[in-house]
Formats: sequence, structure tokens, C-alpha cells
Amino acid sequence: MTAIVFAGQSYALADGESVLDALLRAGHAIPHGCRAGVCQACLLQSDEAPPANTQRGLSSAQKSLNYFLSCQCQPPASLSAQAVDQAGQRVSGVVREKSWLNQRVLRLRIEAPLDFKAGQYVTLWQSAQLARSYSLAGSPNPQNLLELHIRHYPDGAFSAWAAEQLKVGDALDIQGPLGQCVYSAPANQALLLIGMGTGLAPLCGIVQDALAQGHSAPIQLIAAARNGADLYYLDELSALAAQHPQLGITWLAQHANQATPPAVAIGDVYTHVKTHFASLKGYQVYLCGAASFVAKMRKQCFLSGAGMADILVDSFVPFATTKT
Amino acid sequence: MSIFEKIGGEAAVNAAVDVFYRNVLMDERISHFFDSIDMASQHQKQKAFMTMAFGGPNHYTGADMRKAHAHMKLTEEHFTAVAENLIAALKELNVAQEHIDEIIAVCLSVKDDVLNVPPAA
Repeated sequence: MTAIVFAGQSYALADGESVLDALLRAGHAIPHGCRAGVCQACLLQSDEAPPANTQRGLSSAQKSLNYFLSCQCQPPASLSAQAVDQAGQRVSGVVREKSWLNQRVLRLRIEAPLDFKAGQYVTLWQSAQLARSYSLAGSPNPQNLLELHIRHYPDGAFSAWAAEQLKVGDALDIQGPLGQCVYSAPANQALLLIGMGTGLAPLCGIVQDALAQGHSAPIQLIAAARNGADLYYLDELSALAAQHPQLGITWLAQHANQATPPAVAIGDVYTHVKTHFASLKGYQVYLCGAASFVAKMRKQCFLSGAGMADILVDSFVPFATTKT
Repeated sequence: MSIFEKIGGEAAVNAAVDVFYRNVLMDERISHFFDSIDMASQHQKQKAFMTMAFGGPNHYTGADMRKAHAHMKLTEEHFTAVAENLIAALKELNVAQEHIDEIIAVCLSVKDDVLNVPPAA
């Protein structure tokens, strides 16, 4: 019998009934719209590969994360599903390493049993009341270490706590993984990745993932920041580029200061991209950083010819009223 | 057979919506309507609209179109601008003129709803 397993419960599907209709009938509030597979309001996520017809029109990233259109889904066998981005189970992690990447960016390495794809993000819980989301830097590894780059704000509720009080050996709850800014391009598609500030974190993982999967077309990574001193991982990424001729890295700062490393070019990131990537037709583009940067750069890249489905973003949204 | 199927189904719509949306964002008559919206969700809405205009699978109603545009205080000029951008996009993708005519006829059928013209008594 065909059934849908949702929130731990199994519901039998009536003849010709979609997953969406079965869940609505069972009283679940699933957002939905056109019921024709077009509006994508009814997206759900499965642990297993859903039927191909239920992924029509989705991006390759969404497909690789097993997203599917519940209004189009009449599974041949029982299928498990959950709301998109609530997949995030909550697990307990232990801080294994704490260090500073520069004056403002704290690196945490937390051991936690969490399956993720490079480019996704997690929510960290300081207490039952205080949580913040951070992108995962780097790729899944045998040590189960999650690497996070945390921009320190002295008056930030979470980041000040993480900088001043959190210690190696402390436990904290982690929820995730969330997000769909993951490597999903064919090996021969040119990639452009642009990170602003700690937007570099998820891009590090995406680049590693692309290289590990044998990406052969050029991979251009632009690490941008307001000040040269805000940039980090110059040596690590330069070493990676030296090993992989298809990887090119540009360091870009809006303003020079005394601590600006010599490899860093001075300039405006929007102008730089416009000048060096006049046509982005055929590229897959990854944009990570503050929401304002991502919105402006997404529009610019789209107008320069990148297809909408080929622009993947990880947009940092300020939490509530206090920034972290 | 609907135009949606004749011009190549979803792949054609995917190509058309990028070209159309790019045209719209660069058109000074209407680009300001799109300044502060989420591009990805707007893109998805435009895809749903074009699927409807092409006679593809959809559940669009006049009431939806009216509700979605009511707060925007649109004029004839705005409607014309959108229609011109759509025609330009279809021409760029080499859609046959007879199909373009049919697609525009669908657009005209929802014009009163988009411009929030009170229904005739």
C-alpha cells in the first residue's frame, strides 16, 4: 500500500490521492498553491530519492537534497517526508577547538554527528532562548567536526558569549543542516563564487566539494571584505589553488589599511565582477554574505546573463533586534 | 495541443522566463516595482504566470490576478510595458508569431483584473 510517513506517522494514500492531499486530510498545515507543480509552495523534503516527476522544475541543488512537489507526488511505495528545512534534527555537540582567524572572526570546531552537504548552515543554541545560525565551513569529515566562522560583535548576544565564555570541551545543541546553497553543477560548468566577509566560510566547503567531485571547468573564488584585515584563509586557499590549476582566487578589499596583505586587491566588489565577468551566461554562481550584498549581487549577476536557477545564495539574515 | 506543448513545454518556459524577467528589470517604466522584492520568489511567480499564458497546467484565476496586483496601482502604460517585454522575449526565443498572438490574447484576457478595473455591471 502506498503511504506517506510524515512527522513520525504513516498515512495511507487513497487511490489517485497526492501526498499533499493526504497530509491536508490528516490535518497537517502544508502550504500549497497551484496544485499543478508550478508554484512550488508545497515543497517537502524526503530522506530518500522521490519519484522523478515530483522534482520537475526544481533546481539541481534542490533535487540533490531530495526536495519534491507534494502536490505532484503519488509514490509507488511508502515515502518519508518532512517540511523543508525542518529536517534539522537537534543534536548535541562538543567544542573541540576555538581560535581566531583574524581580529574579528572566531573559528569554532564542534564535534557533532550531523550529516550535511558543504554550503549548508546550522543553528547553534546557547540556551533555550538564544540561538543563531551559522554557515558550515568545509566539508563533512571522518572526525565529525563542524567548522564555523563567527563574526564577533562585542555587543552581540551570541557572538560575545561564544568569544568570551564558551570553552573547549563545552557542549551545545546544534540544529540542522539547513539551506540549499550546495555544489550541484555539472563538472564542465564554469563556477563563480563570491563571499563577503564570513560569507567565505560556506564557499570554502563548496570549493572543496567541487574539487573532490572532480570539477574540471574553471572555479573562480572571490573573497571580498570591507577592510583588507578582515580577510582570512589566504595561505590555506592559495595552497589549495596551487594544487588545482582550475581554481583561481581573488582577494578584494574595499579599503586598504596597514594590515592589508599584499595579495589583496583594492576595489569595489560589484565593479570588479562587472569588469572581469561581463557575461555570466552559462556560469553557476554562488553568493554568500549579508542579505543586502546577496540581493544586490544576485540582481547584477542575473542581469549579466546567469540563469536564475544557476544562482545559489546563502544570505545572512540578522536575528531579531540584536545582531550577532 | 496547447502552445505550452507546441513550443517545448517546461524547458521553453524556463528559457523564456529568464529572458523576460531580465527585460522587465531593465525597463525603467516598471523596474521600480521589483526593487525590494525577493528575486527568487518573483521569478517563480513569473514562471507560473507564463505557464498560464502559454496554456500549460495552472490554476490561475482572475481573482488571483486581481488580488496580487491590487495594491500596485498599475496603469495602462505598465501593462503595455510588461506585454512588450514578453513579446520581445518570445521573439528572441524564436517563438512563431501566431503563437505570440495567442499568448498575448491570454494576457489581454486578464488585463482588467491586473489593472483592477471594476467588473462590468
